[in-house]
Amino acid sequence: MTTASGEGKERSWFKEEFGSPERRTAYYMVLPALLIVLVVAFYPVLYGVVLSLTDSTVTSFGSFVGVENYVEMFQNPDFRLGLSNTVIFTVASVALEFIIGLGIALAINQAFRGRGLVRAAILVPWAFPTVISAVMWRLMFQDQVGVINYVANAIGVIDGPILADDTLLLIAVIFVDVWKTTPFMALLLLAGLQTIPGEVYEAARVDGASVMQRFFRITLPLLKGTILVAVLFRTLDAYRIYDLFWVMTSRGLDSLSTFVYEGVRISQLQFGPGNAAAVFIFVTAFAIALFFIRVLGMQTSTEE
Amino acid sequence: MTGIRRERPGTPEARRYSRRDFLKVGGAGLAGTALLGAAGCGGGGSGSGNLVFTMGTDTSGTLQGLIDKFNKENKGKLKVTYREMPTDTGQYFDKIKTEFQAGQSNIDIIGGDVIWTAQMAANGWVLDVTDRFPKSEQSKYLPAPIESLTYDDKIWGKPWFTDAGLLFYRADLLEKSGFSEPPQTWMELQEMAEKVMQDQGIKYGIVFQGSNYEGGVCNALEYVWTHGGDVLDGDEVIIDSPETVAGLETQRGFVTDGLAPEGVSTYTETETDPAFLGGDTVFARNWSYMYALAGTSDYPDVTPEKIGVTSIPTVEGAPKANCQGGWNLLISANSDLQEEAWEFVQWMSAEPAQKERALSATLLPTRTSLYDDPEVNEKVPTTVVAKTALTNAKPRPVSPYYSDMSLEMSEQFNTSLKGDESPEAAVKTLQDSLQQIVEQAS
Repeated sequence: MTTASGEGKERSWFKEEFGSPERRTAYYMVLPALLIVLVVAFYPVLYGVVLSLTDSTVTSFGSFVGVENYVEMFQNPDFRLGLSNTVIFTVASVALEFIIGLGIALAINQAFRGRGLVRAAILVPWAFPTVISAVMWRLMFQDQVGVINYVANAIGVIDGPILADDTLLLIAVIFVDVWKTTPFMALLLLAGLQTIPGEVYEAARVDGASVMQRFFRITLPLLKGTILVAVLFRTLDAYRIYDLFWVMTSRGLDSLSTFVYEGVRISQLQFGPGNAAAVFIFVTAFAIALFFIRVLGMQTSTEE
Repeated sequence: MTGIRRERPGTPEARRYSRRDFLKVGGAGLAGTALLGAAGCGGGGSGSGNLVFTMGTDTSGTLQGLIDKFNKENKGKLKVTYREMPTDTGQYFDKIKTEFQAGQSNIDIIGGDVIWTAQMAANGWVLDVTDRFPKSEQSKYLPAPIESLTYDDKIWGKPWFTDAGLLFYRADLLEKSGFSEPPQTWMELQEMAEKVMQDQGIKYGIVFQGSNYEGGVCNALEYVWTHGGDVLDGDEVIIDSPETVAGLETQRGFVTDGLAPEGVSTYTETETDPAFLGGDTVFARNWSYMYALAGTSDYPDVTPEKIGVTSIPTVEGAPKANCQGGWNLLISANSDLQEEAWEFVQWMSAEPAQKERALSATLLPTRTSLYDDPEVNEKVPTTVVAKTALTNAKPRPVSPYYSDMSLEMSEQFNTSLKGDESPEAAVKTLQDSLQQIVEQAS
């Protein structure tokens, strides 16, 4: 604010906001909540950033080392592998979940006998704690007792144990995530579908629109808001994946989050490098969210 | 896990850091973990108090009973609370380490893995008990556990129970193919396994634990040691040697020759049991506990009569080397009740308690006399069939940085076993990373 008029605007804005006692009261009332958010959300994030620029350990704050932690992190092959695994995992799993989830949502949006039962049943995989489904699937992929491993080898899709091959393992992890979270996606999309009024379709039918035209011209555009929310949720969730990688691959495959944990846990609890990786995840996740809101035009509130 | 290390303040000089320093780092979450568990010690009057004892999950369910017995005998004087820790030795150690580094621990007695002594002693976390545990007493225990408690010429605790890597073999199958004795060398093992597999249509020759974890390190080290290689010579890293490479080549060779299942690089003990006791495999390397599973309702076909137990094979003319496992009893240097803690350690490591634990949990005692006890012999048959193998076990490298070294080793040994990297390349990488750990420490 360098110009006088700018300053004036600023002041009038300030006056408008804090001038009336009623508005001031409103601010006083949200102040405690704001303070709590500052303390439990902003402070740790900022502190994490500060720590990532030092060589702190659990016992000492250490000294300021600039971006050295970040440079080392990017040079670390384990980090690069974790990053590429996470990106592949996120893109593949969210894309598959969206396509399958939309299919399921469209199907169970139709009226048919036993629809309630199907809707409940579809949620079963999602209701499992991730760690439990990870252990369960690991057993099925295992080479001695694993049914999937046996069938896949018997019909000749693969040759060798799934768990011992990093590529197959990543595919397996994606598969399990799709199995687990597609129901969530389907339910979110179903909720969106149900807000589309039936008259719109009726009118379209009267105008002679085909099934495909109705889907692409009515369903998809009207569902856009819901789709963006669902896909953003899943993208951020998938990007932070930890439990599935840690348990199902039995520490065989790194994701970004398992990298953070391993970075911190080595003998002296090195907070610096660990925080650098954590800050990296935070910043990139934030960028993904911004992309959804700004570029794809996701609505974050009901105003407007 | 390479690259992101610089300083290692867990080393002796780090003890100077105070609690305030810790709080400055903002370890609120860690402090939370540290405060979990039973209430602190330091209870009233002379010689009375509450002690906290940590040990991994007791799958046999008999440890609490033993502790109750101690509490009953010392009623009104001492009360020991058992604080359960993770079963996985790595996770358990992570927890203990965090608490001690933070200086926020209320632990008095630690049931500690044999590989922890050096690190805990060097950091000043555990009490030097050299004066309380004289040589004359030490001689009543097996030599390997005593060795595992010795660091810097001092002794840091008492042995509790022990274990060792053993070679299990199907005596019935070997006999059918004309072998009356178990193999002494890796070469013999390979010949026998191949013949049995061919003659009798057995699926695999050998299974072991090759996964990326501490057990994988034990397995690989047995190959390295029997081929004449080693990890450390004093403080010097000597792992990059033709002998180490030869060891890892033999191990990898079992996979490429079709003796071991390809998935063995993902196996832990849990996968080894069904592979061997399910009848698909001629040989298995495992810890002594597996013997007790033979013939049980899970594995009815492979009965104890069908299997034999012996030392891990070696190469022609070289000494045997079974990787030592097991648990010791150590006292926290921060404990306010060290005398009382010692009383508990004495009681737990004494013959009656060890015998009871051997009988109820089929764990192997560290008291030499119990190996001739008929009751123990009957209940824990490995004390008879594998006595020499157990009593001559070899400890893993002794270093205050062993836990870091182990992470590097398990990763590289696993890569080599999977065939993602050649044994030479894996050993070269290890030489560098272990060297780095040692250098950064000093």
